[in-house]
Amino acid sequence: MNASVRTIGLNGRELLLLAACALAIVVFSIAAPAFGTPANAATILRNSVELLLIGLGMTFILAMGGIDVSIGIVMGLAAIAVGKLLEGGAPVPIAALAGPLAGMALGLITAAVVVLGRIPAIVGTLGLLGVYRTAIFVALGGQWLSGLPTGLTELLYARPLGIPVSAWIIAIAYLAAWLALRRTPYGPHLLAIGNAEEKARLSGIAVTRVRFATFVASGFLAGVAATFYVATYRNVEMSIGSTLALDAIAAVVLGGTSILGGRCSLIGTVLGVLLLRILQNGLLLIGVPSLWQTVVTGALLIGVLGMEAAAGRLKFSSIGQAAR
Amino acid sequence: MNNDFLVAKGVTKRFGALTALSGIDLTIRSGEVLALLGDNGAGKSTFIKVVSGAHPPSDGTILIEGQPVSFNSPKDAADAGIATIFQELALSENLSISENVFLGRELTNTVLGVPFLRRNEMKQRVAGLLDELDADISDAEAPVGSLSGGQRQAVAICRALNLNARLVIMDEPTAALAVAETRKVLGLTRRLAERGCAVVLISHNISDVFEVADRMVVFRRGRKVAERLRNETTPEEIVALITGAHPDVRALEKAS
Ligand SMILES: Nc1ncnc2c1ncn2[C@@H]1O[C@H](COP(=O)(O)OP(=O)(O)OP(=O)(O)O)[C@@H](O)[C@H]1O
Ligand SMILES: [Mg+2]
Repeated sequence: MNASVRTIGLNGRELLLLAACALAIVVFSIAAPAFGTPANAATILRNSVELLLIGLGMTFILAMGGIDVSIGIVMGLAAIAVGKLLEGGAPVPIAALAGPLAGMALGLITAAVVVLGRIPAIVGTLGLLGVYRTAIFVALGGQWLSGLPTGLTELLYARPLGIPVSAWIIAIAYLAAWLALRRTPYGPHLLAIGNAEEKARLSGIAVTRVRFATFVASGFLAGVAATFYVATYRNVEMSIGSTLALDAIAAVVLGGTSILGGRCSLIGTVLGVLLLRILQNGLLLIGVPSLWQTVVTGALLIGVLGMEAAAGRLKFSSIGQAAR
Repeated sequence: MNNDFLVAKGVTKRFGALTALSGIDLTIRSGEVLALLGDNGAGKSTFIKVVSGAHPPSDGTILIEGQPVSFNSPKDAADAGIATIFQELALSENLSISENVFLGRELTNTVLGVPFLRRNEMKQRVAGLLDELDADISDAEAPVGSLSGGQRQAVAICRALNLNARLVIMDEPTAALAVAETRKVLGLTRRLAERGCAVVLISHNISDVFEVADRMVVFRRGRKVAERLRNETTPEEIVALITGAHPDVRALEKAS
C-alpha cells in the first residue's frame, strides 16, 4: 500500500483529510443548495488565502517546537498599516509592500522576545497578543477603516497567464516553503530543532539563527496575508485576525504537523486549511450561527490532539519543549 | 614521532559550588584507544564535554597539536577535528541516516544565494561509509528512529568519520547494547584507531575496555587518580582504582 500511496505523494493522514474534505463537500451540497455553487466555491477559496499563508508559517513554527498565538493580530496590525497608507493616498505599490514589511518587523519583535529573550514561545506570544490587541484598538481609534480606495483591489483582478493573482501568491509561497523545507539545509535543521533542541545544538546547528529566521518568515507571510486581506475586503475591522491563530494552529495540526515539533506536512496544512474553511462555510450555510465557528475549530484541535495522544504519537510530558 | 593530538593541562570545571573536575592532566594520542573509567559522577562526561566545546572549562588549558585552543561551542571543537558521540546520542530520530550524518555540515550548491542540498551525493557518501564500516544498514534514507542501538552508534560513527574527525570521543557507546551489537561497536572503535584517529572511550564495562583500549585513565570524584597501559595492568587493579580500594588512591585521597 505504501508504494501506491507514495506515487501520488500523500501519506495516510493526508489521504484521510482529502476524504474528509470530499465527504464534507458532499454532505453540505445535499444539506444546503447554496453550498455546491461555483460562486460559493470561489468564496471558500478566497476565504482560505490568508489562512493558507499564515498556516505555512505556522507549520514551520510548530515543526521547530514553537508556537505563535499572536500571528492573527500581527496580520491585523500589518493590515492597519496597509489601510492607513491607502487612506492617506499613498501609491498602491507602497501600500502593498507595507504589509510584508510590517509583518516582518513584527516578526522581528516576536523573534527578539521568544528567541533572544529565551521566553517560552507560548508565553512570549501570549504577552505580545495582549499588547497588540490594545495597539489595534489605539491605531484604529475605535473605528473601522472602511471604504478604502480601490487601487490595491484592482491588482487582484489581474490574471497573469490566466491564473488569478491570489493563486500565484499561494503557489509561490507554497513552492518557496517546500524548497526551503525539502531542498535546503534549513529543513533538516528546523526538524532537528523541533525534535530536540539540545541535540541540534550539539550537532553544530545555528539554533538561534534558525529559530529567529523562522519567526521573521512567519511574520512576513502574515504581512503578505494582510495586504491580500485589505485588497480583498477594503476594510479593517476591530476584530481583525482575532481567530486566525486558532484557525492556523488547528489547520496545521489537522494536517499532520506535530504540536510538539519535529514532524510536519505542507500539503497537510493546505488540506487542513481547506477542510476548516469548508466546514466553517458549510455550517454557516446550513444555518449554524457564526458564533459556533470557533467552537468547531477548537473542538477539532482538541479532538485531533486527543487522538494523537491516545495513539501514543504525542508525549505531553515533553510539553516544556513544545512551549519553547 | 610525536602522536600527541590533544593535551589537557590542569582542566577544572565547577558548577556553582560543585567541582566536577579538578586539575585534570591528560594526553590523547592519534592511533590509540584511550579508555576513561570511573564511578558514576566521577566527571568523565563532564571532561569530554569540556574537550568537545559543550562546556567552557573553569580553569586550565587545552592544546591541540601543541597549540592552545579555546572552544566556545561544539562547532569550534568540530572544526578542530573533534567529534563527540554523546552518551545520549545526539542523533535526530525524525531525520534519515544521511540527513543525520551530514546534519549541520550539508553539501550544497548555491544558486542565486540559496544553498540547495546535494542530496544524491550525500546519500552515496553515506552508503559508502556504512559499507566501509560493515554496519549492516541497507537504506541510508531510513529514519534513525527505526534503527537499533548498535546501528545508531554506527550512524554516529559515520557522522564522525564524515566530518574527518581526528579525535572521536564515545561516551558509553555499548551501555544499551546486546552482546552481538557490542562486539560490532567495539570493532568499529578499533577500526577508527587503525585509521589513525585518536579515540576516547568511556565505559563501565571492564572487559570491553580491556578488549579495545591501549591506555586507561581512571577518574574519581573529579580527579585523575591513575593512568595505565593495558599490558601493564589487570582488570582487578583497574576495579580497585575505580572503587578507591587501591593503595595509590587511598594515599592520594589522604594527602588532600
Ligand atoms: N550541567 C551540570 N550542572 C551541574 N552539575 C553537573 C552538570 N553536569 C554534571 N554535573 C555534576 O558533575 C559531576 C560529574 O558528572 P559526570 O556526568 O561528568 O559524571 P560521569 O563520570 O559521566 O558519570 P556517569 O558514569 O554516571 O555517566 C556529577 O556530580 C554531576 O552531578
Ligand atoms: Mg557520564
